[in-house]
Amino acid sequence: MAVNLNTELGKLKLNSPIIMASGTFGYGAEKFQFIDYKKIGAITTKTITYEKWEGNPQPRISEIPSGMINNIGLQNPGIKYFCEKIYPSLEKLKKEEVKIFVSITDRTLDNIIKIVEKLNYLKIDAIELNFSCPNFEKNNLMISQIPDKTFSVVKETKKVSKFPVITKLSPNVTDIVEIAIAASEGGSDILCMVNTVKGIFFDWGRKKIIEGGISGQCIKGIGLRCVYDVYKRVKIPIIGLGGIVCGKDALEYILIGADAFGIGSGFFSNPGIVNDVFNYLSSYLTKKGIKNIKQIVGILNEKGK
Amino acid sequence: MICVIIFKMEIKNCKVIKNQKIAEKHFILKFENKFSKEFLPGQFLMVALPHFYLRRPFSVFKVNKNTISILYKVVGKGTEILSKMKKGNILNILGPCGNEFNIEQKYENIWIIGGGTGIAPLIFLSEKLKRKNKNITFFYGARNKNLLFFDILPAGIEYVFSTNDGSYGYKGTIFSIVEKMIKKEEKPDVIYCGGPELLLQKVSSLSVRHKIPSFITLENFMGCGMGVCYGCVIKVKEQNGWEYKRVCKDGAIFRGEEVIWQ
Repeated sequence: MAVNLNTELGKLKLNSPIIMASGTFGYGAEKFQFIDYKKIGAITTKTITYEKWEGNPQPRISEIPSGMINNIGLQNPGIKYFCEKIYPSLEKLKKEEVKIFVSITDRTLDNIIKIVEKLNYLKIDAIELNFSCPNFEKNNLMISQIPDKTFSVVKETKKVSKFPVITKLSPNVTDIVEIAIAASEGGSDILCMVNTVKGIFFDWGRKKIIEGGISGQCIKGIGLRCVYDVYKRVKIPIIGLGGIVCGKDALEYILIGADAFGIGSGFFSNPGIVNDVFNYLSSYLTKKGIKNIKQIVGILNEKGK
Repeated sequence: MICVIIFKMEIKNCKVIKNQKIAEKHFILKFENKFSKEFLPGQFLMVALPHFYLRRPFSVFKVNKNTISILYKVVGKGTEILSKMKKGNILNILGPCGNEFNIEQKYENIWIIGGGTGIAPLIFLSEKLKRKNKNITFFYGARNKNLLFFDILPAGIEYVFSTNDGSYGYKGTIFSIVEKMIKKEEKPDVIYCGGPELLLQKVSSLSVRHKIPSFITLENFMGCGMGVCYGCVIKVKEQNGWEYKRVCKDGAIFRGEEVIWQ
């Protein structure tokens, strides 16, 4: 039996539920020979801001048991450079039918809107709002920690954007469902959860305490719980993300309600993860006699409960 | 015309052939070469280790048709696990990663300067330069005689040794010897250097002072080894100041003069 891993995120049709997560696949503009791009549904770029951001000084990455902490600091060349120098290569990649999601953020709504206006000239497939940028409008909190801000920034972005909008949520909130509802009411087409979990790393060698975001296997349970809770209360499609290192992890996200899933730092551990996950899901569906992966989205969860 | 750049790295499961202790905490690991792409001097590979989330980068020091070898020192828990690998164990390896040493035809008189395990990529480089009949002087320093690995040095090259304790060769750091020699001898056309950061830094500024091109190999903790995470960056001089560049992708070989030392 031929199985089908095609999936949909609202109106967006993906060849596969596998999405390369923001910040763990560069800008996606260079092609890895060992990856079969037909097995990827979409590539999310590293987050782009209006102006160039230098990023944080070293150390930027620390390893912890079953994961890592990063504080890269959103190093990126700015939207102008992206449009002129990076996008042309991305456009070529699209011929393989990989969808392109562009992750963006900034410290003011004005700048976010200016970025969206520039992106409107390109042929991308969706804009992902990275709401985990610190110090939004001089507030100590991230946008994704304030329901009102989440609602209004999504709403303003939607007014301008030609493309579907994905809202990426942080798990560092009292109730992620409240934020997810705010994003959905603001008009977000898709949700992506979760971003990294705040943490610190004791660097005994450098005698430093390093603040950063935790990713990796160790946060899978957190990501799953967020998707599980939000799926019950929100109608828009969900991209599940956090701690996927093998096909079974991805399947868990699908079963509790994610329409697609992101692979993040799991790609660093195992650069061959795309093949592994794709093959696992294909053989799982074959074994169970299920024709299409869409049939099993959320079957271990319930809407409205 | 816009081209999509293609990274020709491969991921292979390679059988360990030998994991030999050559000195206190120092090992040479030899494994099957299953790669179809050729490794060049200066390039490295990323080894997956059991119980660790991130891979570890290692410079390649010897490549044959059927085998690849790395030289490493046990510095933490990851390398400790690597040191316990036995013949027949399988390692999942990503490579070749990074750029290679810039070898230009016009460089005839070449100085290679290495300290500690930093000599690994330089040995690979000197083998290649030797086949091109270049005039090579290899400066090699270690803390003591036991940490100078004579057995792995290619023959037919002129060596200058130093040890910090004076147990072999000149007494002092290898840089102190290089500094003396450069005043006396004819200047080389190029310098290649690998080793501790302080050595790289001093050799870089020496090469700038004497207007000799230099190429150094940097090390850093890496997230991905593929240029996608921006975790291993260093400050590099740019036209309008500086920029963070990735050691794994834009390096690990940099021009000595372009690096801004922290």
